[in-house]
Amino acid sequence: MKKILSVITVFVLMTGLVQSQDKPASSMGYTPKSYYTISWNTTFTIGDFNKWVGNASPAGFDIGGRYFIHNGLAVGFNISWQRVSENYSQQTYTIPDKGIAINAENCRFTWMVPFQAVIAYHFIPDKLISPYISLGIGGDYMEHHLMIQEYDIYKTVWDFSLTPEIGALVRFGSYSNWGALIAFNYKWTTNQIALYETTSKNLQMLNLKVGIVMMIR
Amino acid sequence: MNRKFYNSKQYSNNINMKAKLGLLILGVGMAFTLSCTKYPAETDRLLEDLAVITQYDTKVDFNTYKTYSITSYIMKVTDKDTIPITDQTAVAVLAEIDKNMQARGFVKSASAVKPDLGIEVFYFENTTVYTYYYDYWGYYPYGGYYYPYYPVYYASYTTGLASIQLMDLKNVDPVKQLIYCRWNAGIRGLLTGTHTTSDITARVDQAFIQTPQLQTTP
Repeated sequence: MKKILSVITVFVLMTGLVQSQDKPASSMGYTPKSYYTISWNTTFTIGDFNKWVGNASPAGFDIGGRYFIHNGLAVGFNISWQRVSENYSQQTYTIPDKGIAINAENCRFTWMVPFQAVIAYHFIPDKLISPYISLGIGGDYMEHHLMIQEYDIYKTVWDFSLTPEIGALVRFGSYSNWGALIAFNYKWTTNQIALYETTSKNLQMLNLKVGIVMMIR
Repeated sequence: MNRKFYNSKQYSNNINMKAKLGLLILGVGMAFTLSCTKYPAETDRLLEDLAVITQYDTKVDFNTYKTYSITSYIMKVTDKDTIPITDQTAVAVLAEIDKNMQARGFVKSASAVKPDLGIEVFYFENTTVYTYYYDYWGYYPYGGYYYPYYPVYYASYTTGLASIQLMDLKNVDPVKQLIYCRWNAGIRGLLTGTHTTSDITARVDQAFIQTPQLQTTP
């Protein structure tokens, strides 16, 4: 996936640079009417969630859209797919009231599908580099899995989530319709994990998003 | 009728835009396929690992049992037959069980003495359902009182499982013809991956480690 995203980024970057050379040097850019993002999402679990899966996971993908409603103020959406996973060797799980204990290598993972409405403010929306802050409000569909050999023990949990984010759009030329996105967010959810002795509440994570942007004038 | 005319530069830009959009859609599709699979790829190797599953009778106080006896073979159950095996691995596994039982305070019965607990080990190679007559006759060389009560076991197991069964010979039910299993340890995954004898005996140790309740005071 890294290779694919690299190829796409390089291709768009090159075409953007070629386009930018066609424009007069005095051009200062434009404020797009809307823009759409596709980004690769790396998740770092924190708090209780980190006890469930400690690994940072690059298995994530995000699609977003923003529509400018007034100056730098935009509203939109984000839909993502994310997975965090970690293998643990020789852990023991017990069910005390039944006298059962299981010891095995196991894999814990959480698969997430977040969907959020977003409000964002771009400080200088017409510039080559357009920093922004945003707040996402929505929900997640999460599956928490504990896999031991061919057994897959899992729970499905829906939640409410909040995601404050800082980031920037970097246009490939003042008049290019394409750009890069880099963003960092903190996500707080009401989601919880309760599988065997593992109990985690209010799952939290940090996400690093790197992607491309298509702007509509 | 309105017509829109393009000059050559606009036409070229239009083509470029379409090409970029096409590439983007292709890239998104591939990235989606690669990154959005729910299950991590590395879960496949879990099947090659040995898992130890134990269950003990929570109503039993193991301190009331003092002695045990153990068979000199492992009973191998296949689709075709049930045969005793006494190869190097079988001997090592039985010796490890012996060692752990003694470390937990149980005393191995002399052959002429009636034990409190009887241990049998099965290896289910590739069977799904089996029937077995528990042969406790061997534990009672001079106590044939219960003979010929042969409780019948019907069970279903997955392949490559070693099962250690600790039977209660102290509290046999002659009316219902039942011998109760007080502790069962299963070592799963023996037919996947490569496992040495020491891997298997380490799992035997693990079965005891995860059952601290299984002990008595001599």
